[in-house]
Amino acid sequence: MPRSFRRSSRRWLAVPVALAAAATAPAQSGTVDFPRDVRPILAAHCYACHGPDAGARKADLRLDRREDALAARDGGAAIVPGDPAASALWQRVAATDPEEVMPPPDAHKPLAPEQKERLRLWIAAGAPYAAHWAFVPPVAAPVPSLPAADAPTPIDAFVRAPLRAQGLAWNGEADRATLLRRLSLDLTGLPPSADEVAAFVADAAPDAYERAVDRLLASPHCAERLALPWLDASRYADTNGFSIDGGRHMWLWRDWVIAAFAANKPFDRFLVEQLAGDLLPDADDATRTATGFQRNAMITHEGGTIAEENLVTYGVDRTKTFGEAVLGLTVGCAQCHDHKYDPISQREYFGLFAFFNQTSEPAHGGDGGHNAPPTLDVGTALPTGEEDALRARIAALQAQLAAPARDVVDAWVAEQRLRLAARGKGLALHRCAPTTISTPNTGSGFRIADAQYAAVDRPMSALAFDVAMELPATSSPITGLRVVMHADPSKPAEGWGWGGGKDGKRTFALTCLSVSVGTVRSDQVNLYGLTPIARVTASSWQESNDGRDRPEGALDTPAGSGWMPDIAAEGPVHLTATFAEPLPPDARHLTAQLHFGRWGELTARRMEFFAVSGNDDGTDLPPAILALVQYDGPLPDAERQQLAAYVARHAPALELLRVALKNAEERLAVRTQKFAAMVMDTAQQPRPTHVLHRGAYDQPREPVAAGVPAALPPLPAGVAADRLALARWAVDPAHPLTARVAVNRFWQMLFGAGLVRTPADFGTQGELPTHPELLDRLAVDFVRHGWDVRRLLRQIVTSATYRQSAVVDLASRARDPDNRLLARGPRHRLPAELVRDHALAVSGLLVRQLGGPSVNPYTPGDPWREISHFGSSPATAQAFVQDHGEKLWRRSLYTYWKRTLPPPNMALFDAPNREVCVVDRAATNTPLQALVLLNDVTFVEAGRAFAERIVQRAADDDARLRWAFCEATSRAPAGEDLAVLRRALHRERARYAGDPTAAARLLAHGEAPRTTAIAPAEHAAWTQVATLLLNLNDAVTKP
Amino acid sequence: MNARSDRLPDAALRPARRAFLASAAGGLGQIALGSLLGGCAAGPGASVAGAAPSGPHFAPRARRVLVLFQSEGVSHIDLFDDKPSLHAHAGKELPPSVRGSQRVTGMTSGQGSFPVVPPLLPGKRCGQSGLWISDLMPHLQAAADELCVVKSMHTEAINHDPAITLLNTGNQLPGYASMGAWASYGLGAENADLPAFVAMVSQGSGKNPGQPIFSRLWGSGFLPSSHQGVGLRPGADPVLYLRDPDGVARDQRRAQLDDLQALDARHAEDVQDPEIAARLAAYELAFRMQTSVPELADLRGESEATLAMYGSDVRRPGSYAANCLMARRLLERGVRFVQLYHRGWDQHIALARQLPNQCRDVDQATAAVLKDLRQRGLLDDTLVVFATEFGRTAYSQGALGDPSSGRDHHGRCFTMWLAGGGVRGGFEHGATDDFCYNVASEPVHVRDLHATILHCLGVDHERLVFPFRGLDTKLTGVEPARVVRAILA
Repeated sequence: MPRSFRRSSRRWLAVPVALAAAATAPAQSGTVDFPRDVRPILAAHCYACHGPDAGARKADLRLDRREDALAARDGGAAIVPGDPAASALWQRVAATDPEEVMPPPDAHKPLAPEQKERLRLWIAAGAPYAAHWAFVPPVAAPVPSLPAADAPTPIDAFVRAPLRAQGLAWNGEADRATLLRRLSLDLTGLPPSADEVAAFVADAAPDAYERAVDRLLASPHCAERLALPWLDASRYADTNGFSIDGGRHMWLWRDWVIAAFAANKPFDRFLVEQLAGDLLPDADDATRTATGFQRNAMITHEGGTIAEENLVTYGVDRTKTFGEAVLGLTVGCAQCHDHKYDPISQREYFGLFAFFNQTSEPAHGGDGGHNAPPTLDVGTALPTGEEDALRARIAALQAQLAAPARDVVDAWVAEQRLRLAARGKGLALHRCAPTTISTPNTGSGFRIADAQYAAVDRPMSALAFDVAMELPATSSPITGLRVVMHADPSKPAEGWGWGGGKDGKRTFALTCLSVSVGTVRSDQVNLYGLTPIARVTASSWQESNDGRDRPEGALDTPAGSGWMPDIAAEGPVHLTATFAEPLPPDARHLTAQLHFGRWGELTARRMEFFAVSGNDDGTDLPPAILALVQYDGPLPDAERQQLAAYVARHAPALELLRVALKNAEERLAVRTQKFAAMVMDTAQQPRPTHVLHRGAYDQPREPVAAGVPAALPPLPAGVAADRLALARWAVDPAHPLTARVAVNRFWQMLFGAGLVRTPADFGTQGELPTHPELLDRLAVDFVRHGWDVRRLLRQIVTSATYRQSAVVDLASRARDPDNRLLARGPRHRLPAELVRDHALAVSGLLVRQLGGPSVNPYTPGDPWREISHFGSSPATAQAFVQDHGEKLWRRSLYTYWKRTLPPPNMALFDAPNREVCVVDRAATNTPLQALVLLNDVTFVEAGRAFAERIVQRAADDDARLRWAFCEATSRAPAGEDLAVLRRALHRERARYAGDPTAAARLLAHGEAPRTTAIAPAEHAAWTQVATLLLNLNDAVTKP
Repeated sequence: MNARSDRLPDAALRPARRAFLASAAGGLGQIALGSLLGGCAAGPGASVAGAAPSGPHFAPRARRVLVLFQSEGVSHIDLFDDKPSLHAHAGKELPPSVRGSQRVTGMTSGQGSFPVVPPLLPGKRCGQSGLWISDLMPHLQAAADELCVVKSMHTEAINHDPAITLLNTGNQLPGYASMGAWASYGLGAENADLPAFVAMVSQGSGKNPGQPIFSRLWGSGFLPSSHQGVGLRPGADPVLYLRDPDGVARDQRRAQLDDLQALDARHAEDVQDPEIAARLAAYELAFRMQTSVPELADLRGESEATLAMYGSDVRRPGSYAANCLMARRLLERGVRFVQLYHRGWDQHIALARQLPNQCRDVDQATAAVLKDLRQRGLLDDTLVVFATEFGRTAYSQGALGDPSSGRDHHGRCFTMWLAGGGVRGGFEHGATDDFCYNVASEPVHVRDLHATILHCLGVDHERLVFPFRGLDTKLTGVEPARVVRAILA
């Protein structure tokens, strides 16, 4: 075992000296402690030139190892133990001549007088070195002895012994309501209900708290809460990240993570399966799915990129993530040169890199929404037991849709008749002269023909054409746009398009039509000002194919649906879009983007455009249905059923049912079928790894075998150096880092900051632990008890330290603003996901489904398309498509994460973009966050739904307000609070009673159905009160 | 429920708490938006990790920066860097000695022939300085004497994602902070009620869609997220979530915020949490933003003469021209760092068709924003940077003369220009070889550009650091970077 791994009986090598008291000096015991007092100075000010990095080393002097620092050099030594005056280090540090002084002025790292003094005292005391604490395996120190009342648990003894020694007090226990709220948010990420709070406060049993802990730890939502930080560390996302950032499918891995936490899988096994689940002797589908951890790395399919460069980039990310997420080391620093601060040479870096450089993963992959290989078809690893209920629900929904109520059918028919009666009224067509046509990926093969047509002269795959045209002057407002598709007049038999079709007649699929207008010409459709289209009809379409070829398929962005005419139709075919509002009179120019996105030459040949005034004369009813709608008199049964079936598929009144059925069917498929998961494997011919000069892929130097840094324990002898060996090495009980890093992360989740406050850097540049013995004790205990996460969490949350009140007076806070002494309880802003989850839970909207593919809840507009490659690529996730029904209210860890544009309402609350490993989110406080909570439809709808719960909860206002306040904050309102709320309620009631339109508008936010049992003005008034409650500081704070 | 019963007796602590709240809040409503949004050391928003350094390191030449980022690689050959030899060798093979053995992208590495293509259109020597600018940019030609053209830019990156990321964040890989975020972190906001860093995206007409861009280009990376660029968008919602929900009137919102303040201020006395005061201040600022941002984004007050100067496209919300005018409005209100992202310069194909459209997008408005800033006395202390991630090849991608042919990416040399605060106008720095293929003199790396931009802002790039993962991280990264002193006025 390397020297640095020998257990030292004197871990904190202390030299008694008389040190001048300094406000910033951590030394409080009058000793200079090398790891605590000296190494940080050497590391920050000296190691860059005199540290582990051989390449950057100046004057051939190395100060990070004692033997080098003491070595004889011409005329002396850098350090002469016990004799500062004879030590070159001290002479240079103390020098005033800018030519002499160290660090040199141009390094911008001058030493403070107090730091210099510490170095002098340390040399005077013999310049003792000690191994960096984090590279020495933890030893469980004896629990300091304190009276049991002061320290009910060992954690408390470690926290409170130093407080007592300094004569400092600690805080009392938080009130019970606060405790339950803290505990619930910490362990499940969801607030307790007012009823749960009341029950807990009333529970006088001595084990009430412990039972609450057990209940919350057993909740399936605990697994979701624990998964959240691990998704950050693992840079989990739903898109590939680089360049075009197309969609991928990694949710099976996320399901695995949740399942692992739900089953309390031992944390060492949790890591091993993710690092090497494919290599385990008992490997199965689940352990292989776990290796998706490493496939979360960003990839690209951009054709111009260089294969070798991409592969190095992927490996670099895996190595860095392994270092930061598992080892708590910034190994990535050693990619280009030896680590400047920690004992990791560049060669050792590539030894680690080599473990991850042996897969068959291609350099380019992930286009078209297909997972890049290697993949594995597997089912979800997360049991939920909901399948039978799902099947029953599907059957019930199908039955409901199979027999739509007679009044629904009648209402729909009446609506159609009204529409048919208005059909074609005042219709006039005005030809538009196209001025330009363009398409992103080719410069020829398309043109404006005869100043009348936009013509495509040859087959092209999946292209968007932008056609600019002048709008003719019309006497009545322009209400729509008609696109007429012609065959080539010289070859009419070849059809309107360039692909598909039948018997030599070719066709097209118009998958997305977008329009913008303006006072000036625009060659490209203006994505910031798209003209909303209310509806669309066509002269002909294919009704078969599940309705995917109907005209309305041209109104959405996905290429799966799009307008395709019936191939048997004769002559030109046309589609008419009716705008939501007539065009403004000053609109002179129109640009249409026609996206033929099915990737099979399904483009049109010859397009002609007409501005429409008056009413569209088309219908979206197939001829047979049209006849039934127009039929006067009772329909025979068969026809009635035919009509009902059509209504079931298309009536807006049944949309919620259809969405519910579709979601349920998809959910059942997710629960029972297999999907492709991205996994790790070992290539038949693993790539050789070389040291890359300056980290550059094209500058390989000597070959390197997989191996671990010498400063850490060695791999066991006789074991193949593969990922499994690396994984087992990392979780070996003798490993100094992994368990400490893990317990520190869980501590961080609960306290807002770890015992080591640089959770990804346990190296010499990282912060020292605030409570080293506690960290070590917890780590040793964690390993000794089988890496039992639930046990660890229970230990922490049942400590008096955790249960302390967070409330302290000014003086105490000023003494320890960051709560490093842990003399008070934790209090901090909730992570982004939990801010949204909190609102969903309080409002009652939350859908408590576990796992499954990611969902797209409300987002303003289509921010993806504004920055993406939509129109030029078969990659998915190029345009945002909002989901509906239950998918709008899932927990936020299931929200689709597009790396180049993560959900804005969470990014504003410091959620990372998941491009790289993140283990320490910031918690900022900005006006933009206020705007999210006040104005985002997510939160407005939550207010509306919460209002419903409030009104239905009790009969009188005060009871409602009391309950609502407690439901939202877990505390009872004070008298002054109630007064404010009452006043607000009365004010808003008056307001909405006098303005029913405003009430209706407010209540129209969101897609959750609204009860009709509450009068709109009353509902709107309570919505405002609910919104107020959901904006309280409590809504974003763990107390 | 008696949750309050086991609290400390309020009365005893109240006076102290009230004093505490008042001091923590600085008096509600008085806290500057900049301190919350842009982050400055003294603001309560700086409770996040890594307080910003205070102010510049030395007297700045520029107080503000406007980056006109032309995404996907502007053709230096066609627009700024004509050479007689290009014409002499038109259609002939690029000499292998010039091309060397360096890497090219996967898009042309398989080509058998590399014929030289001279600039698409002629150009002329302009102004007193005699800078050569293509006739594709007639308005910019008239502004030549404002420009400080750097012809010797170079980058290692040859594909969009890494090259764009490098130009905008100082590293080819994701995870780093953008230029504007660094400026916000280092200098904070100049106008307390507007963000320090505003980002605006426009579509190009050359190639639509262009290559994707990423929020990391205006992101804060490892810096606190309060430094990320605030996106300003055309339309009714210039900032996401800015508008009150339908059915809620301004006076209602005002009353609601008063209620919120009453409830939270009382709670703050109980829990003594200074974050509550800071958060209430943020709500007040949000309320003010709901008025000030739409006012800022409303171009109706601009004179016809100004609108005409930017060209007709300025009337199209979200266009490059409209964003240029918006940039001027932001800069004159003291926004520290404004960046435009204009897509569509990726002329692999159909250069002859696409490039004129792309130039038409930007020419007039770019010249106009320089002139507008000059007329208002703002150009002296505003640094304008016309930036791109790389140039394009002297040789043809695709068969010579094919209407579908274009130019591939080229990182070995390319052109950018700067103007205004701190740099020499009508000046040319560095040179390329006869084929605009390699840097011939005065190479300027992307990180040198970063060092120079910071220098103009009065910031030493070596000293603007943020401790992250054991490293004092800098915009200019770990490789040596230098200020290009030759271009400084």
